[in-house]
Amino acid sequence: MPRAEIERLREEKLLGDLVPWSYERSGLIRETWDAAGVKPDDIQTMDDYHEKVPFIDKDAIRSYRDRHGDPYGGLLCLDPADPSMKGIFSAIFSTSGTTGDPTPAPYAGRGPSMLVREFWELGARPGDHFLHCLFTFRGPGIHDTIRGIGATPVFVDHQPGDVEQLFRFSTELRPTGWYTLSGPLIMMIEEAAARLGVDLQDVCSSYKGVIFAGEPLGPRARQRVEEWGLELFIQTSLGDVGAATECREHDGCHMWEDCAYIETLDPEGAKPVADGERGELVSTTLVDKIAPLLRYRSDDLVRVSREECGCGRTHGRVWPVGRKGDELLVDGVSVLPGDVWGAVESIDETNGLFQMIRPAREVDALRLRVGYATEGPGGLPALRARIEDAVEEAVGVRPEIELVERDVLLRQGPPHKIPRVTKA
Amino acid sequence: MTFAKEFEPMPAVWGVGRVMVAGEVVPWPVSEADIVDETDIAEQHYRALGLADDDLVLVVALLSQAIHAVPLEAGAGRVGALYSSADATRFDAFRTASLIRQLQAKVVIGVDAEVVTGLDDLERDLSDVFGSVAAVVAADATAFARLTDAGLPTGRWLRLGPTSAVSVPGEDALAYDATRWQVDEDGGALVLTNLAERFTPCDRFHTGVRGSVPEPGKLLLS
Repeated sequence: MPRAEIERLREEKLLGDLVPWSYERSGLIRETWDAAGVKPDDIQTMDDYHEKVPFIDKDAIRSYRDRHGDPYGGLLCLDPADPSMKGIFSAIFSTSGTTGDPTPAPYAGRGPSMLVREFWELGARPGDHFLHCLFTFRGPGIHDTIRGIGATPVFVDHQPGDVEQLFRFSTELRPTGWYTLSGPLIMMIEEAAARLGVDLQDVCSSYKGVIFAGEPLGPRARQRVEEWGLELFIQTSLGDVGAATECREHDGCHMWEDCAYIETLDPEGAKPVADGERGELVSTTLVDKIAPLLRYRSDDLVRVSREECGCGRTHGRVWPVGRKGDELLVDGVSVLPGDVWGAVESIDETNGLFQMIRPAREVDALRLRVGYATEGPGGLPALRARIEDAVEEAVGVRPEIELVERDVLLRQGPPHKIPRVTKA
Repeated sequence: MTFAKEFEPMPAVWGVGRVMVAGEVVPWPVSEADIVDETDIAEQHYRALGLADDDLVLVVALLSQAIHAVPLEAGAGRVGALYSSADATRFDAFRTASLIRQLQAKVVIGVDAEVVTGLDDLERDLSDVFGSVAAVVAADATAFARLTDAGLPTGRWLRLGPTSAVSVPGEDALAYDATRWQVDEDGGALVLTNLAERFTPCDRFHTGVRGSVPEPGKLLLS
């Protein structure tokens, strides 16, 4: 799709439909716009949109929820009790809840999502089996999407206890696609394979592509998985209005700009940053009329390019950098979890499991809580020293390391990720 | 590389799920028609549990239980209710507690020993978590005992081969759909035969469940 067509489509969907729809029906949007003195009629062009439409963020949603006793945070545009909604508005899913109470997310209807593009790109085709390895709380969308490309879902839990069945179904049914793989699951697979004497190259031999999601992928984990023969396609969240996934060029995650409008802004202000520069991802849905997000400040720091990709797609690409709220300033040095990830992961005993302790943005010392599976040669003092050395080399700051048994950290997160930043 | 057209014809097999027989996994492919059929059955169970228009049921299950859980999800819409989902794991127990509170669930189905243990980890009192729920349906004997001991209106959900049987609070017998399934007793164990057409047929399939059949449509666990 030519860029001009993408932009025309965006303007048509947003200005002609979603702006008036959302203002009329979403309590949060109306409240926020009224406070800013903005009405839908004021938004006639994209320039108006950029200049006048106020931002919303997770705090605004939570605040609305608490003030109004509305579990949907004022975003819901449809009334489930409306008789005309019967059969359309069917379910309420929820966010992962990594950082607090899971946020309910209303869902209407059934059917394939835009992830059909990603699943097709993996190489899965009609008649294939496709490994559906996830949770229940994200709803039926993935299942319907697998079927939408004509493939048959094979259900496996994203849990340590189901890894043996993952091996079994992979070898018996030989699926070609896999959604999703995560850091913790890589660890579980590796350990189960060693314990059971399973040949992971054989287990993984039928897969043409696997989507990795949940949290960043460290270089060591990537190397391990590639040794199994898997081609990984990284997926990242697109400001809660969708997901962006790598293509076979593996050069950034494609954001579908016919589904979402993405701005990258100065993290401390409202000015746009140039493509290629680090900015905060601000998202606007172009397709969700149930609980639409308009100018949602995601807290995610990203780089974006809208240059044509080597795969031929004209939709932009995004590279996640970290989260604005995760940044630590240690004696003036900026440190994000991604900056220490590779260093911690390079120490075998850790499997890359760590948390940054962030009681405030500015701190005197970089404190890391690191999980370990084994103590390694020299015991815990030697392990601590090796981690300190590796992190210091990576970020130029010598950290204080608190070592905990690995399960202490794994218990803190959903199966596919753990909170990488914690207050204490 | 081209995109899929929107969309490819749906495959004949809706999905490959599984049934558990004495702790062993048996892969179980089902068709769309099977899911619709089981949704009809779920609707009957919900009506018995009192789920109605504008209510919400929280389905606590695992993705590997999809061939049983998806009919429970779809069945909610049949009675005009919404559904939400939480994983039946120790870790995800916090979600069960949170969604009951936030969404004011009328019925919760699928609470198992893992979820109860997870709530214990969180030092949550079962009567607090489930106190507002009209019926909580346990997925195993351990959870059933804990919930009952907490004074909660507790029923049972049994995954019986590829179908489900459910009891309402206060009743010992679990109901199954005798027009679609024949359940027989064989040496104290339940065997299952499909009466309606199924993608993967059952012919006196040994479910691994011990129990008896006092009358067609009702079974008792032993």
